[in-house]
Amino acid sequence: MDESAAMNEPILAVDNITKAFPAGATPILNGLTFRQEPGQFVAVVGPSGCGKTTLLRCIASLMQPDTGSVLHRGRHFDNPPPWLSVVFQDYNRSLFPWLSVRRNVAFGLRGSGADDKRVDEALRAVNLEHAADLYPWQVSGGMQQRCALARSIVVSPNLLLLDEPFASVDAQTRIDLQDMVMEICQTMSLSALLVTHDIDEAVFMADKVVVLSTRPARVVEEIAIDLPRPRDQLATKETPEFLHLRHRVYTLVRKQAQKSSR
Amino acid sequence: MTAKGRHIAPLAWQAATILALVAVWQWAALTYPAVYLPPIERIARGYIQLWHGELLHSALLPSLRRLGLGFAIAILAGCVTGVVLGSLRSLDPWVRPTIEYLRYIPAVAILPASLILFGATDQMRIFVIAFGSVFPVLIAATDGARRVDPILLDVARAVGLSTAERLVRVVLPASLPSIFSGMRVALSIALVMMVISELIAADDGLGFYILRNQRLFQTANVYAGVLTIGTVGLGLTLALLAVEKRVLSWHRGWRGLTETGRG
Amino acid sequence: MKAFRSHAVKFGKGAAGIAAMVAGWEAVRALGFVDRRDLPSAASIVETAAVDLWRGDLAPAVLATIGSWAPGLAVAAVAGAGAGIALALLPRLEIATRPLLEFVRPIPSVALIPVALLVLGVGLQMQLFMIAFASIWPILFSTKAGVEDVDPRFVETGRVLHIGRAARIFRIVLPAMLPSFATGLRTASAIALVVAITVEMLTGQPGIGSYIENVRLSGLVTGMWASIFVTGVLGYLVNSLFVTVERATMPWSNENRDR
Repeated sequence: MDESAAMNEPILAVDNITKAFPAGATPILNGLTFRQEPGQFVAVVGPSGCGKTTLLRCIASLMQPDTGSVLHRGRHFDNPPPWLSVVFQDYNRSLFPWLSVRRNVAFGLRGSGADDKRVDEALRAVNLEHAADLYPWQVSGGMQQRCALARSIVVSPNLLLLDEPFASVDAQTRIDLQDMVMEICQTMSLSALLVTHDIDEAVFMADKVVVLSTRPARVVEEIAIDLPRPRDQLATKETPEFLHLRHRVYTLVRKQAQKSSR
Repeated sequence: MTAKGRHIAPLAWQAATILALVAVWQWAALTYPAVYLPPIERIARGYIQLWHGELLHSALLPSLRRLGLGFAIAILAGCVTGVVLGSLRSLDPWVRPTIEYLRYIPAVAILPASLILFGATDQMRIFVIAFGSVFPVLIAATDGARRVDPILLDVARAVGLSTAERLVRVVLPASLPSIFSGMRVALSIALVMMVISELIAADDGLGFYILRNQRLFQTANVYAGVLTIGTVGLGLTLALLAVEKRVLSWHRGWRGLTETGRG
Repeated sequence: MKAFRSHAVKFGKGAAGIAAMVAGWEAVRALGFVDRRDLPSAASIVETAAVDLWRGDLAPAVLATIGSWAPGLAVAAVAGAGAGIALALLPRLEIATRPLLEFVRPIPSVALIPVALLVLGVGLQMQLFMIAFASIWPILFSTKAGVEDVDPRFVETGRVLHIGRAARIFRIVLPAMLPSFATGLRTASAIALVVAITVEMLTGQPGIGSYIENVRLSGLVTGMWASIFVTGVLGYLVNSLFVTVERATMPWSNENRDR
């Protein structure tokens, strides 16, 4: 498949994947299908414990599904494709404690080159230049997550996977990080896939919300979010369109959650 | 009592205790002279002699050289083997019984075998020292490698590191805290093996020096030799701690963070 | 049934690993770096070990070593535990003796063998003394740390329940520090074995050490390797013994909890 054809492919095509582990147990994912076009911001939501993280690992090609396929630009990968970056949930476990902030970011380039211009740019994009030579334990949780973010964008990826990245920070930091991520995606023309349990966040940030069922998870509905960009934490969240979409997603997820508790 | 006063009082007690013991020794040595109770000044003289000139080169330096080389080999072999074994979980059931047997062999029993294989040479002693001290490092490295946070390994894969790069740039640094604690144990074992290898079938080194002076009933020199070995042990332990402090400065902060739950 | 299968598989892999080691041994023999007579085949080593144990002097040698190792270790266990507990509970004593302890600590006990030879001469007494002296330190320091690490809330609970001081020590502090003591004892048991054998090699005191040396000096290379092999088994059994006793008596301790 030549380059131009690859460019017309969805940046991510998840096709009817199932995954169970340990093998033979109840599947976590069962027949999950959706697509993501280049430049799209997709949010994946679902009731707690529905397997969102497993889905993300399959998408990142850190894990292979039992059946079905995950295609990146039309191709299958055994390991994460070079244009894909991941921001993990537990940021304090994903940063290397023996490396400074700068070197952690540089690690994304597979280098330890602390003088790389790209490292500086990434640090600037997340506002961490002043803390570049500090160590992860010396900076706050929000700064640690920004460091992880910088590390994921320093390679100039095309697809950014975020696994509940703001779950463990306080509400104020979360707002700042959301704005930061959206701005970065805009500036760098990134596609992003955000896995989250926060429905407000999903509707606020995404172009499309994919709602999962409970385990075994499949796609219940895909909801297009056509709110105008740039989005504002106050203004957008007060519009009737936002409230309506939020209500839709919320009800859907609630229904799924109730199904599991029966 | 002021805060400073509280620190000085125990220090004064300790100094007083040592001085008292030294004084009692000296009094006993002079009042009840016995072969095994030499006066302090003779011990001191013997001790100083070990750090200068002829004895330095025939006793102290050879011991240090063997200890250094044997310990270094043990660290290298232990780290490399341990990190690899710890990362490849699947290898564990294959190698575990063998390692469990080898690690509990009383290392001194290896000495006669090494004598036959290497002769009464430095290689023999270095081998004995290395064999005795490799296991604490190996086991600590294996343990550390096994406990690396899987998320860090995910990051390495996501960034595209090869297996070798992953072992060196992620698993090894993450295992260093464990490795250093293994090294501390290994150092004391290496010291023991150094002495043993010089008590049995030796012609130089501190252990040989002590034994030779014991046979000649030069007790003061025997004590001086023992004190020298103790000094070497203490010095190396402190040096290792200093290195550990420097290399693992990130670990202390990190552990403090996770314990207080900040962030 | 599944558990049995997984155990059988593990056992099989371990056995295969050992077989691979033996194959490696034979490969080193074949390479010829060393004179082949100095490196007997694994089969001959095991065979000689069996013969020497059954009909030769190896078994009495092993027993002789144990006969000094055990009493020496026992004395050290009592003295070390007692001293460790005392030092942990009596801060003034600890401060006063701290310089002495820190002074002796870096000295490897084997370095004191010549001193013991001077003072006590050759013989069982000297060997027992050395074994006990070498074993005391790990037991003392582990026990002391064990007492110091006892959760103060345990002791406070005792006070709240109106349990007297002596009873608090016996019924609360002692059981709580037992796992630390046990670990120190196990460490000491290995040191004691090394010291016992070293003394035997050096002074000819009956035991494994002198046996190995005699066999070596008589040129019985296979017999020497066989006795080393048996010594390794002894070391392994000693450790297993202590681990088994620990697990049986202290299932609640941190090390044993996840089994």
